[in-house]
Amino acid sequence: MRNGVFFCQVEDGKNLNVDAIAKYAANLPGVEIVQNLGLKPHLKASLLADLILANSLTRIVIAGDMPGYYKPVFTKAMALAGCNTDEVRLASFKEHGATGEIALDRAKATVACANMGVPFALVAIPTGNPVNHSTLVIGGGIAGIQASLEIANAGKQVYLVEQTGTIGGHMAMFDKTFPTLDCAACILTPKMVSVVQHEMIRLLTCSDVTEVSGNPGSYRVRIRQRPRRIDVDSCVACGICSDVCPVKVDSEFDSKITKRKAVYIPFPQAVPNAYLIDEASCTYILSNGIKCGVCAKKCPKECINLAETETFLDLEVGNIIIATGYELLDVQKIEQYGYGKYPNVLTSIEFERLTNASGCTGGRIVTKTKLFNRKSQQEEWVFVPEGVPPRSVAILHCVGSRNNKYNAYCSRVCCMYSLKFAHLIKEKIPDVKCYEFYIDMRAFGKGYEEFADRIRHEGTFVVRGHSASVEMVNDQMTVKGEDIINDRMVEFKVDMVILAVGLIPSAGTEEISKMLEITRDSDGWFSELDYNGNPTDTERGGIYVAGMCQGPKDIPDTVAQASAVAAGVLRSITSGRGIGHLSSVSLSEIEDRAKTIHAV
Amino acid sequence: MLYKEVIMAIRVNPRLIDDLERFGAEDVQFCYHCGDCSTVCFHSDQMYRFPRKSMRFLQMGLGRKIETTLEPWLCYYCGQCSEQCPREADPGETMMSLRRWLISRYDITGIARLFFKSLTTEILAVIGVAVLTGAFLLYYGLSQGNFSIYDGEGAFLPSHFIHSFDLLVGACLAVFLLINAVRMWFFVMVRGTSFPVPWWLYLKKLYLMVWHFFSQRRYAECKSTRPTKIFMPWIVHLGLMLGYIIMLVLVMVFIEKLQSGPRIDWSVHIFGYLASVGLIIGTIYFIRKRISRKNYVQYKKSHSTDWVFVILLFMIVLTGICQHIFHRTGLNELANGTYIIHLMAVVPWLLRMPFSKWSHLVYRPLAMYFAEIRRDALERQDAVLPSYSY
Ligand SMILES: Cc1cc2nc3c(=O)[nH]c(=O)nc-3n(C[C@H](O)[C@H](O)[C@H](O)COP(=O)(O)OP(=O)(O)OC[C@H]3O[C@@H](n4cnc5c(N)ncnc54)[C@H](O)[C@@H]3O)c2cc1C
Ligand code: SF4
Ligand code: SF4
Repeated sequence: MRNGVFFCQVEDGKNLNVDAIAKYAANLPGVEIVQNLGLKPHLKASLLADLILANSLTRIVIAGDMPGYYKPVFTKAMALAGCNTDEVRLASFKEHGATGEIALDRAKATVACANMGVPFALVAIPTGNPVNHSTLVIGGGIAGIQASLEIANAGKQVYLVEQTGTIGGHMAMFDKTFPTLDCAACILTPKMVSVVQHEMIRLLTCSDVTEVSGNPGSYRVRIRQRPRRIDVDSCVACGICSDVCPVKVDSEFDSKITKRKAVYIPFPQAVPNAYLIDEASCTYILSNGIKCGVCAKKCPKECINLAETETFLDLEVGNIIIATGYELLDVQKIEQYGYGKYPNVLTSIEFERLTNASGCTGGRIVTKTKLFNRKSQQEEWVFVPEGVPPRSVAILHCVGSRNNKYNAYCSRVCCMYSLKFAHLIKEKIPDVKCYEFYIDMRAFGKGYEEFADRIRHEGTFVVRGHSASVEMVNDQMTVKGEDIINDRMVEFKVDMVILAVGLIPSAGTEEISKMLEITRDSDGWFSELDYNGNPTDTERGGIYVAGMCQGPKDIPDTVAQASAVAAGVLRSITSGRGIGHLSSVSLSEIEDRAKTIHAV
Repeated sequence: MLYKEVIMAIRVNPRLIDDLERFGAEDVQFCYHCGDCSTVCFHSDQMYRFPRKSMRFLQMGLGRKIETTLEPWLCYYCGQCSEQCPREADPGETMMSLRRWLISRYDITGIARLFFKSLTTEILAVIGVAVLTGAFLLYYGLSQGNFSIYDGEGAFLPSHFIHSFDLLVGACLAVFLLINAVRMWFFVMVRGTSFPVPWWLYLKKLYLMVWHFFSQRRYAECKSTRPTKIFMPWIVHLGLMLGYIIMLVLVMVFIEKLQSGPRIDWSVHIFGYLASVGLIIGTIYFIRKRISRKNYVQYKKSHSTDWVFVILLFMIVLTGICQHIFHRTGLNELANGTYIIHLMAVVPWLLRMPFSKWSHLVYRPLAMYFAEIRRDALERQDAVLPSYSY
């Protein structure tokens, strides 16, 4: 073989030195010429053919981050020179993990393999550690639930760790899901119940992961279980404890638009279906056992143990799935929308809770009513079922998304759920005026564009243009904006404003990334191994990402990714080859293996 | 008529944004047309909506369209839009650059364009004019007068001569400005207005031009949440402008009185003093703002040509005052020397005006005037402006 190696790498990366790789390539067996093309946009096939003939080359190796770009022109050149066009081999650096500290060795290895005509993937399989058959899933949203069920249904043990008192995540808060307007609970609740009933799933609520050590295939994990103070198995969720509890605080599940007691159940269908005690607000706990304690006395099943303490659980698992989801950006810091200042400016999740049939108004969409709170002696704005419905509602897209000051990225689902909101509002209050202010309509999925069209036809006034601010003039909110398509300024009087707030990774993301030693991208989401080719693995073997924690996505994508992750986990368990750290395979190992394969 | 505008607007210049970059706006291409900027802009209204629309025209390369718009002149660069812009496309700076660009479009000679694009050319031109002026005055003074006499019989630069000299320079200035103003009128009111404008509207609205010229009310109207209250820049700007005008009138009309002395003639000198104070305070204020740019969007990127103006103005005020003092204290040779330097700065400074940002003195009030005429004419008309729906 007479080989020519061509580099199409433009810049030297931090750990990638093209000259060093070129020197290495020059010494490989059979290499006649080594050339650095940089990133020349238009190579001439005829000139290349001359080069091939002059050096009587029989194989071409194109090396770099995107060698495929040049494959057509080299193939043509080979044809012109009368050579075998199959002998154009690619050495793709990034695709084969040439990043970080191992970048240089990995790049050399890809060149060596291509030079021998051996597929890189064939030789670079790491020798695996034996895999422990149980799996840890962090986060009990739809992603975590789906992955757990898939793995458990295949007969493998799953530990599902959820930090709150119930699984379900954000999806449990929704009434309907776009674009089918299916009832979210009808899809989710059966899955949640299967989780708690599944013999292969151990559900750990009120828990978080505190320590992780070990290697792919056998991770040792320490889980802290915060005291729930109510025995899950004996609690029948009768709610007597809650009735007698004197403490009222904002309900997290209702996005703080309603109050709950210190002993509470997040929502009636919560899984596990048991009450829990919030140690941050319980009088008994705050007073070190001196005051109150009335719930424990009243519980007919005697399952409340106010003195319960936290416990730790040590587990051995083979694989870890991260499914920690997302949360909303703090809108209060974007002052111009008046969130927190005007009572009827709501975030998207608040509206989801308001319109939810199991929410505080039974699904009626109303504006807040001013009530006098006798306890705090203050007037408060609250939602009550008999409140006044809004006459007009404005929905503002891209609040804090696609904005260089907050999130530069698109949150992906807000356009669609905003349209869903418009539909729900129109459906429930027929004569309402509904305005949507958008910048670009991102109706990206199957049936989504049609959904957007449908909403437009339902009479929602969709304004192509953003609104910069919400103002209050004489007790009337007004929303101003530029209606670009109709070429005019618009100003609407509205009773309610819903902000499609940008999404950010959930609070514990940074801690988890440190604990598991996996990186996050510049926006804070977990980095996948390769966005196109491997969107579920991370750079550490045996650790996977599923759902929103890897980047904004809707429920169908979340579920698909979760199932894909489950497939990866099951593959590692059943293949018998174990999992290794891809980056643990050294250059010499790859060279040796390539030689043996080549010889065969 | 209606078609006319549409057809003109179709001409596309794909390099328009690159061209504008030389005038200061660098980020136009980032704009994704959310309209936030037009919404927060205090001056933007139904008929004159900006800056988003201007951003759009720029991105589309509709230079011939922008040429006929008044919007850039209606913007006072309070900076709200740039603060709001989610894409950091800097619409405020774009409007500023568009004003520079428009000045270069109105200017028939092409000098303005040259100056905006190359500081070196501008400095060379200024120095050239200054040297020519100096040489001429020196030659004239030495050939007929005595260097040690300031005024009266045998004066080095007799006041009647300076008077005619000033008038000559003033006439040049007026001619250039007039031609440019007519071009502006043609672009805006003829090419850019697709509906008929009754001639008497020009008379009816004339008062607006005067009003805006002297009050600069629209500047004061900018609501803004910036660290200093907006009326400060407005008052200073007004002071600077009035100082400028008073000086111009003094020099053009009352120069002979101004130059007589050494006694102080309060009837004219008081105005001179007031104007000097206005100019000095104004200049210092703006220099300070341009140097401490932190809090002010609008000064973040002052164009190099702005500095030529400031430096020249400073020299003029300084030498003017020195020359005045030297004359009053009987140091006639020094007074004559500084006088020449003074005039060497004054002439290029005045002649430069039609080709620099400072011609906004004329264009701004004209723009308000035209804008109101168009608004009135349109209201009288059933015809609808061809609407651009981008
Ligand atoms: C207002 C709104 C409306 C939407 N409507 C729709 C719709 O109609 N249709 C649609 O397809 N999509 C919709 N979406 C998107 C949808 O919510 C997401 O795609 C989906 O919820 C993502 O699920 P997830 O499991 O990845 O994350 P989540 O639902 O956020 O679940 C994450 C779970 O992990 C837990 N967790 C977080 N951190 C930790 C930790 N450190 N340790 C342990 N547990 C942790 C959380 O408590 C939570 O239970 C909407 C989104 C919003 C904001
Ligand atoms: S999904 Fe729509 S509303 Fe949300 S950030 Fe993207 S473009 Fe804006
Ligand atoms: S300039 Fe900025 S604020 Fe104005 S429309 Fe463009 S992106 Fe929006």
